Amino acid sequence: MKIQEKQGKVLNFFLYTCGFLLLWEWLRPLKELTDTANMSVFIFFLCLAFTLAYLNVHFFIRTGLKLLYVFYTLNFLYFEGSFFRFKWLVFLFQDVRENMSVVFQGDWMELSDSFRSLLFFLLLALMAYLLHYWLIQRKQIFVFFFMTLVFITVLDTFTPYEAKGAIVRSVMIGFVVMGILTFFRLVEKERVQMQAGFAKKWMAPLLVMTCISVLIGYSVPKASPIWPDPVPYIKSYSQGSGTDGSGGEKKVGYGIDDSKLGGPFKADNTIVYETEVDSRQYWKVETKDVYTGKGWISSVEEGERVSFDQNENFPIASYTNPNIKTEDRTAIIKPVVNYPHLIYPLGLRSVQNDSQNTFEVDLSLEKIYTSNPIDGPGIKEYSVEYANPKFSVKSMMSIVDNQHPELTGEFLERYTQLPEELPQRVKDLALELTKDKTNWYDKAKTIENYFDGPQFQYDQKDVAVPSRNEDYVDQFLFETHKGYCDNFSTSMLVMVRSLGIPARWVKGYTQGDFRGLGDSGKRLYVVTNNNAHSWVEVYFPNIGWVPFEPTKGFANNIQFAYDQVSQNTGTDVQQTPQAPKVEMPKDEKKTASAKKSSFSWKETWSNAKDFLNKYWYLFILALLVIGFVIYGLYRTRLKWLPCYYVYRFKRRRKDEDFPAAYFTLLNHLNRYGLTRKQGQTLRDYAEYVDRYFSSEEMGILTENYERYVYKGHLEKGTWEETRELWENLIKKTIA
Amino acid sequence: MTQIQMNPTIERILKNIDKVMIGKRNVAELSLVALLAEGHVLLEDVPGVGKTMMVRALAKSVNANFRRIQFTPDLLPSDVTGVSIYNPKEMEFQFRPGPIMGNIILADEINRTSPKTQSALLEGMEESSVTIDGVTHRLEKPFFVMATQNPIEYEGTYPLPEAQLDRFLLKMKMGYPDVEEEMEVLSRAQKIAPIEELEAVIDLGELRALQQEIKQVTVDDMLKRYIVDIANWTRTDSHVYLGASPRGSIALMKAAQAYAYMYGRDYVLPDDIQYLAPYVFSHRIILKSEAKFEGITAEDIVHRVLSRVPVPVQRLVK
Repeated sequence: MKIQEKQGKVLNFFLYTCGFLLLWEWLRPLKELTDTANMSVFIFFLCLAFTLAYLNVHFFIRTGLKLLYVFYTLNFLYFEGSFFRFKWLVFLFQDVRENMSVVFQGDWMELSDSFRSLLFFLLLALMAYLLHYWLIQRKQIFVFFFMTLVFITVLDTFTPYEAKGAIVRSVMIGFVVMGILTFFRLVEKERVQMQAGFAKKWMAPLLVMTCISVLIGYSVPKASPIWPDPVPYIKSYSQGSGTDGSGGEKKVGYGIDDSKLGGPFKADNTIVYETEVDSRQYWKVETKDVYTGKGWISSVEEGERVSFDQNENFPIASYTNPNIKTEDRTAIIKPVVNYPHLIYPLGLRSVQNDSQNTFEVDLSLEKIYTSNPIDGPGIKEYSVEYANPKFSVKSMMSIVDNQHPELTGEFLERYTQLPEELPQRVKDLALELTKDKTNWYDKAKTIENYFDGPQFQYDQKDVAVPSRNEDYVDQFLFETHKGYCDNFSTSMLVMVRSLGIPARWVKGYTQGDFRGLGDSGKRLYVVTNNNAHSWVEVYFPNIGWVPFEPTKGFANNIQFAYDQVSQNTGTDVQQTPQAPKVEMPKDEKKTASAKKSSFSWKETWSNAKDFLNKYWYLFILALLVIGFVIYGLYRTRLKWLPCYYVYRFKRRRKDEDFPAAYFTLLNHLNRYGLTRKQGQTLRDYAEYVDRYFSSEEMGILTENYERYVYKGHLEKGTWEETRELWENLIKKTIA
Repeated sequence: MTQIQMNPTIERILKNIDKVMIGKRNVAELSLVALLAEGHVLLEDVPGVGKTMMVRALAKSVNANFRRIQFTPDLLPSDVTGVSIYNPKEMEFQFRPGPIMGNIILADEINRTSPKTQSALLEGMEESSVTIDGVTHRLEKPFFVMATQNPIEYEGTYPLPEAQLDRFLLKMKMGYPDVEEEMEVLSRAQKIAPIEELEAVIDLGELRALQQEIKQVTVDDMLKRYIVDIANWTRTDSHVYLGASPRGSIALMKAAQAYAYMYGRDYVLPDDIQYLAPYVFSHRIILKSEAKFEGITAEDIVHRVLSRVPVPVQRLVK
């Protein structure tokens, strides 16, 4: 009985601790997600509640202590004046009374902080009691555990709260708690006598198994989710996709926020524009210039807006050199979805519209806004005049460095910006690719073509999101090789910039799907959300921004005049499919370790990972060998175990060792196949064993053991006398 | 297996009984267990298998005062306990003790008499005293009742109520002797009845001393727990309407002590408990009628429980 109580106490301690930790997981996100300050006060309150419950303090003392703590904390946090000058209590009760009336009015926002804290304490006390009830009385915690997991995962999915650690902790705690409770339930159900070490025997494997499974789960590589992130879908479902730019980030389509790229996309066939054009081309919406390592932002938060009317020219000149060959064209654009911005082609000159005369352009983003209010009626139709360029390859090839009056320091700084954390191997790769190219055009083209290589794959579903310490480009270039336009365009851009060539990121739409001829005799295209796209513009002095299309399977209808290089100017230039074979920089590890010479877990871990990657076959071989050895040992255990036992007990000469020896023998015989049934007495079993071996050793040993176990008396010299019998018997199992 | 050495005194008594009883060693042993544990025995069997002979031999062996009560439907309580009769010579009432005032009593066919008379005997068994006309008469120790009853299927019987069955330490069956034993019985029957020649092995004082000694036999806490577990399991068995009572647990422990002593041990083994449990528990368990229809007996239940309750084989560490 005493043993049972003692073991129960230890286990109860575990239970309460785990219960406390589990409840703590509910409080952790509050700090991050709500403006709850002083969380430690509440956590300490929980700690107090659980300790009191564990110590089984009398109800009145328990409640008194908790009340004391609550009042003291309230006083400390919200009221001035000493705790022991009970004047503040009057204020507290006044406060409570006022708040009660607020509660009955349902005016939840009006509740005072002190009252909220009081209520929160109340809630915590209730929860602590509930947990106590579940753990100790009901011995069932699954529902709460499950709710905890749901709570955490929901927070992780829908809020900024990062539940990576929380989920691991909760799972571990939950498994331990449920393991202990199962133990209790089993003991109760099977009416097992708690023997010494029972709890230990249960707890040790439980903890080891939980730890191992958590460790394995933590360390194995995890597949990226098969289902697309449900949050944008739910959000877009509730808000209506496409009506505002920020909704439906992860659905294909145009969005404002590009600061976190990556992740799978869901196709969306919503038609956003209908266009009538002479020839197909991409539609621009805006450009961005700052790469953060995760995505794109604009260097200027709210750029200067300049308004222009339909008779005026578009304030931003498309080409710096008026001598560029262009072809004047017009296009009619009919927005289907009411966006506050316009789409426009490269080389825009002016915008015409019947109902609205003026437009605004953000000079930094190069984004054109209608001057209507955002939620006002959008324009139904507008037409653009633009100069379709034919870039001269020759003049582009003449640019070899940034020594050009157009390229001011400020300009270069802005358009060759790269994050400091950008891994060196990205730059190395760019250099490696372009080592035998001299001019900017060749360099840009080489990098553009590099993405046509077979290692890259266009994919909208299986696309990774860079983790906290990963670079978006680095991940795509060296690990995943899978992605869509954002991956390709950003990667090319970063590489081009790393060579010191100014470039910017352009967002917009591809030409869309051809739908025959329109009313005006032009070609009719339908642009859907699926056509949202991003590409690269590289700046060439004396020419201007020249678009490049690194994305596999896409082609921008930009004409390059290969003045000497090729005769067929005016036709679409197919991108040369051969990508130069490039060796990946091999010394990446060296650079990584050189960076951090001091010891760190992360490094050790990555070293271990590298080692595993390199010698995985050795590792598996070793595992196999160890496995075989263990299996072999296990299979032949009947042969070598007796020798081991004899050896082990050879040096033990005290009579107190006899019971252990006898018990070892019992276990061994059981292993040998002579099982003792649950309801079989030792004497009966001994008879059975002796009959089997036609011996009498077991009988004699058993009689001595019986005297020890049922009388509590061990005669002097028992072990000395019976050792030989014991050895004989244990050796008989080998024969 | 080691030679089982019985307690020499017990061995002599059993040998003595053996002289008149052929076979039936286990019945003799169990009767002796009940006598030593200061309990009573209920023998359930058909007439003529040697129940009376058994008790008489036992009584003679311990030199006890043997009485026999033949229960009939018209027997009155006073016929059992005794009665006060007016003695005109002494001018006062004089108590004439009934047959219950003996040491070893054979209550033959106890289920033939009315419950009133039955209870007079059973009360004496429980209290070790009888009260007649307001005077309490203590019964001399040792006081041992061996009641026999015909199987209750027979007509004209008053089955003993459960509460009263609980007062018997053991219930057993005698059973018929096998062919050779029965032939031996016939052979002996040709000579003079050997029971008359039986000599006492010990006297009552020695018997009382033995009874005291038995109380010193060690029952480890583990085994007490084992007994309680067995009793508990009979209570929760799905076929059982009413399981073994705590009095049953006490009975099992006492019987086990006596049995261990008989076999020359001063400590009880689980084997003792397992051997005795069916005799001690089976008449204390009331089965559900469904179970009875299925042909399950109380003995089956006890055996099943015994095979399931784990035997304690490891000392609890204190």
